[in-house]
Order: sequence, then C-alpha cells, then structure tokens
Amino acid sequence: MQRSLSAEDAQFQANVREFMTTQIPAELREKVTAGVELTKDEIVRSQQILNAGGYAVPHWPVEWGGKDWSPRQKHIWLTEMQAAGVPHLLPFNTSMVGPVIATFGNQEQKEKFLPATANLDIWWCQGFSEPDAGSDLASLRTTAVRDGDEWVVNGQKTWTTMAQHADWIFCLVRTNPDAKKQEGISFLLIDMNTPGIEVRPIQLIDGGHEVNEVFFTDVRVPAENLVGEENKGWDYAKFLLGNERTGIAAIGAIKSKLAQVKGYASRVLDADGTPVLEQPLLAARVAELEAELMALEITVLRVAGNSADGKPDPASSILKIRATQLQQDVFELAVDVAGPMSLVWLIEDDALGELEDDAVVPGWARRSTPTYLNFRKSSIYGGSNEVQRSIIAGAVLGLKA
Amino acid sequence: MDFTIDNEQKALASAVRDMVGRRTPAEGENGAGPRPHDAGLWSAMAETGLLGLPFAEDVGGFGASAVEVFVAARELGRAGVQSAYADALLATSLLAAAGDGLVEAAVSGESLVLPAFAEPMRAFAAVPGGIRAEVSGDEAVLDGFKGPVRFGADASHFIVSAGSEDGTVLVVVDGSATAVGAEEVLGLEQAAGRILLRGADADQALTDALALASVANAGQALGAMESALTMTTDYLKTRKQFGVPLAAFQALTHRASDMYVSVELARSMAMYLAMSVAEGDTDPAMVSRCRVVLGRTGRHVGQEAIQLHGGIAMTSEYAVGHLTAMLTALERTYGDPRAHLGQLSAGVKDYSTVTVLT
Repeated sequence: MQRSLSAEDAQFQANVREFMTTQIPAELREKVTAGVELTKDEIVRSQQILNAGGYAVPHWPVEWGGKDWSPRQKHIWLTEMQAAGVPHLLPFNTSMVGPVIATFGNQEQKEKFLPATANLDIWWCQGFSEPDAGSDLASLRTTAVRDGDEWVVNGQKTWTTMAQHADWIFCLVRTNPDAKKQEGISFLLIDMNTPGIEVRPIQLIDGGHEVNEVFFTDVRVPAENLVGEENKGWDYAKFLLGNERTGIAAIGAIKSKLAQVKGYASRVLDADGTPVLEQPLLAARVAELEAELMALEITVLRVAGNSADGKPDPASSILKIRATQLQQDVFELAVDVAGPMSLVWLIEDDALGELEDDAVVPGWARRSTPTYLNFRKSSIYGGSNEVQRSIIAGAVLGLKA
Repeated sequence: MDFTIDNEQKALASAVRDMVGRRTPAEGENGAGPRPHDAGLWSAMAETGLLGLPFAEDVGGFGASAVEVFVAARELGRAGVQSAYADALLATSLLAAAGDGLVEAAVSGESLVLPAFAEPMRAFAAVPGGIRAEVSGDEAVLDGFKGPVRFGADASHFIVSAGSEDGTVLVVVDGSATAVGAEEVLGLEQAAGRILLRGADADQALTDALALASVANAGQALGAMESALTMTTDYLKTRKQFGVPLAAFQALTHRASDMYVSVELARSMAMYLAMSVAEGDTDPAMVSRCRVVLGRTGRHVGQEAIQLHGGIAMTSEYAVGHLTAMLTALERTYGDPRAHLGQLSAGVKDYSTVTVLT
C-alpha cells in the first residue's frame, strides 16, 4: 500500500492541470463552476479542444484515441477536468455509445462512428427508457422488424436527454418478441433525421428543458446499423450501464461545487454580521460532507480499476449510490445557504446562460432551488439507487430470494 | 495511490488469524461487556510481533509501518478480540519518541504500558484539563483521578497526561504507585513520576501517537464491521420466516446493501489513514475525517447487524451483538465523531477543498 503519487503521476497531474486551466476558455469554465447551463456550441467547442489534446476519450482502446492510462491516471484526468470547471464531455458519446461500438461494433461501424463520436461531430442521445420500461428496462416494447436490408422501428422512448440537439440515437429495440424478455433485445444506431422520428420536449420541475419523448413511426434503419449480434443488446446495455454508473461519480465536480457553496456561505451574513459559514451547525455539515466526499473519492480510486472483461465491478454500484447522495446533499446545502434568496428562481431557459453573480440577488442563489430540484434526478437515472441496492444484494452479497 | 496488500502483509494477517484461532477462551469469556486483560493472548501477540510492528529494530521492533498495524488490527477486529492493542501502541510510540528505556519491555510484552489520558466527567482530549502536574526537574507530582483506562488493573506503567507550567507534560507513573479500582479509574494521590516529554515535544509526540493508535482503532473497526456484515448476510440466507429465507425480503436485502456501502467506505478510510501515517502524515484534520467516517459507518453497520438478525442478536451467546458493542467502544475511543467534527468545523473556512491525491 502506498498513498503518495509517484513522480510520474505527479507530473501527469501537473500536465493535465496545465492543459485544463490554459486551453479551455475561462468564460466556459466560469459558467460551469457557477452552474450555468451551456449552449450546444459551447459544449462542442470544449470537447473538440479536449479531443485535439488527447483528453476526450483516453479510456477508449488506443487504436481509437485511447491512452492506456492506469485507473489512477484516469481518475486524475477526470478530477482535474471537473475541478477546473471544464464543461463535461458528452457522456452519451464518450462514456456510453463510444465504448460499446469500440468493444462490440464491426470495423465499418468503428471507422464511421468513433472518430466523429470522440470529436462530437455527431451528438448522440440515449434511447433506452420507455413509458412502461423504467427500472424494468428489459420490458421495453419498441420493436424493430427486419424488412430486406432494413429494420423498421416503431415505438416510443422517453427521458431522452438532449434529444433536441442530437444527430443520432442509440436504441434498445425488441427484435425477437417471442424470446425471454432480456434475450430478444438488440442495440441499434438510428440517424435522428430519418423520416418518422418526432421529438417532443418534457418540461421538468426546475422549469428547464433537458429531456424529451422520442416517437418512432415506421422508421427505416439500414441493417448495417445493428451493433454486435442480433438479440444480444441486453449484454451491451449492461456493459454501458456499468460504465455510466462509474461516470456518475463525478467527485471533482461535487468537490468543486462544495467549495463554491463554502464561498457563498462566507459572503452570506448572519444577523450579527458573521458569515453563516462560521455558524457551528453549518460548519459541521460542511466538515461532515468533506469527510464523506473524501471517503467516496478514495473508494473511487480503490475500485475504479477493477472493471474487467466488459463486466463492470458491482462495486461501481457503491459509487453511484454514494455519489448521488452526496451530490444531492451539496445542492441542498446551497439552498440552505441562499436562505430567503432561494425563493426567487432563475430558470435556465430564460436566463440565456448569464452568470448574474453581481446582481443584488446573485445568480447562484436564484439557481439554488431549481438546481436542487433538478438533481433529485441523479438517484433515479443510471439505474435508480434502489436498483443499485438490488445489484449489490444479488451480485455481491449473494442474497437471492 | 496503491491499495495492494502484498504477500508479506497477507502472511502477517494469516499469522494473526492463526494466533487468534489457537487462543483458548477464558472461563466465562463470552459474557457481555468489557473483558479483562488476557495475559496469554498478550504474550501471543508479543511473540507474533504485533506489539513492535511499527517500531525500530534496535528496540526490538519489526521496523514495519502503520500499514502492517492496520493489517494486524483488522484481524483482531474480525475475531472480536478485545485487547489493549491500540493503547499499547500509543504508549510505546510515546516511549519511542522520547527514546525512553522502557520501550523495549513494552515491545517484548514484558511490561504493559498504557496511556492514562481520559478523566472522569471530561470529554476526551489528550490533555482533558482536569489534572495539573507539579513539575520539579525531571519529576512531576500528580493528584486526582485519571480514567477509565481499559485494562488499567494489569498495567505495569501508565503514561499520564497533564497540564503544567511547562505546557503539556507526559509523566511515567509506576503501576504500583496508583490504585486502580473496579471502574478502571486511577486514583493518583500525590503520585510522583518521571517526565517523559514536555511542551511542544509532548504535543507533537501525542499527535503522532494518537494517529498511530487511530490506525489500530480503524483496523479493528473495519474488521468488526466485516464480520458483522458477513454474519448478517449468512443469516439472511439461512433463517426462514413465512416459509422463505429472509433474503426474499427486499426490505432487508436493501438494508444489507447499505451496510456493504458503509463497510467499503470504512475500508477506504482505514487504508488511507494507515498509508498516510506510514508516510509520516499525522495531520489531525486528516485523522479526524477518517474517524468521522469510521464512526458513522461503524454505528450504522453495528445497529443494522442487530436489527436484521432480530432477537438472536440480543443474546449474549451470539457474537454479532458483541461486535456492535466493540464498534460502540471504538467509536468513542480517542474522541467521538462529535468531537472530531467540532475540531474540523473550526477550520472549514480556512481552505477551499480537501486534497486526497498528493
């Protein structure tokens, strides 16, 4: 056992920090740090700078832009990006469909999609959930029926994040209605410009528009867009969801947010003029969150490297559960610090990405409640925290009915 | 950061497991609550090298590190063994820091040197403040009560902490110079002892010794949590009610999963603490953060282990409740989470984030 970074890793950390703080434009990082929603162009711009520097897809196979870094180096890379407020890489591209195509796709698919996916020339969205298939994802009903050289897709997907920006969607579709439900699913790539696709926005409780319903009516998809083997899509989905869980543990981002909240709490004053950060109860909450985040970060370092053979370590479920709890706690703390100022909302779709930190009631305070409400999602998506507990109970503890 | 436990460390763990397994429990040992000092176990621990693990070879130690202490302590915790291990390491660390001749007898197990820091009706602190020492040259005279000191009745020497005109003093008091009652409290009546360390040297040595003892405490807590979790999941698989194993009830399995989450977080903190101390980092804030998480997780795992077992866990014959008792004691040794959070709270405004990877 050894705690200290090796000289090599310390140099690596310095290099990553240097790149993130000098190559990614400061105005983008300031917006991220303040919790301001970015435009599509801003996210694309940031990811293309990262990709040019070799920092977009280091976790992919080397042949497709990967870097063969150690798990520790990957952690340093992610943490430094998040700590510097670098706009997040589009997870649908870099964490979800990219690794699936790189692992299970054929050569033509790799050549066609991987470089464009890494560079965000293609914006992907995820077509998994359906109105009647949430936690029970395998009960999905969107069908794909083979017709000559094409699949004909009918059905509906929902909770499709950023579908309004997407060029392509990766879908789980039912290709064998007669098989056991997990065994009749395939993984299909669909161009969003294909006739028969309709995207309808869903407005959320924070007033924003980030998710959508996507309807498919006789959508004709070339047969070559099926990834891997027909009816093996569930295996690829499990692979993808394991990666998603690990990716959700955005330690650097949560730490950075907590540091922001401490900054707010040092400027909001108590009745006697002392910063609320110096109130014993608030300071104790901060101290406890910092200790719990430290435990999570060390756990990420300890288990992140264990994923092997396309099978995610069930320990990744720990990270998902704990990271979302702490993330929600930090956003809740921000509302408490904002106090009466939290009663006024700044809704992202109306704010046009303005910081408004010099307003009488600053932007962070007016964003605090919508953001807190928005992040109630994180314990639901990526396999709800209850689904994660079932995974731990079954796969780790061997508790089966 | 590297969490690998190497082959030598695995061999050490295995030796400790064997040692504990060979032990013959004393008459009535399975009774509830704090147990008396087990001299046979203590000799076995000395022979296995545990008492000298992190100390230099020239005083009879092994020249290993806090990581080995963690590895050994975890096995003691797994087996639910009560001993003066963490306290003895604390005392030996102070002796070693002072270059005191008593260190060799402490490492060999010939002497049982224990810290006497706590004071009745005072919250824990290395120097709780109720007792002052009258310093006269290399000697000091102490008056008042110290304790409880677990296993104090069997100690050959105490290292008593006190305030004085020279700041903190650590005074070695011969066991025969004090009366230790059933409450494991030392009655010091104008007791004289020699000064081991004083002032800034004493404070620094205390910081380092408490960090090392916290590693042993953390290892034992992790081991106890691991055993409690294993016992609980085994029980859920085998115990039947309503015609099915308890594992059929999601209300129970999800709580077991949360126990697992707690154990893994505790493991991370215990290992981090051990690695830090092994590299000479005894920063009290770092130690406090580890203790806060180990305290919360130990409490959670201990309480849930009893609840998920049901009535059987309430009985003295069944081990899981004793593990919970042990976790309850460990959480309150060297400061409880409230005290640690209190100390951390005072500092949160002075930095932006906590750095883990350095």
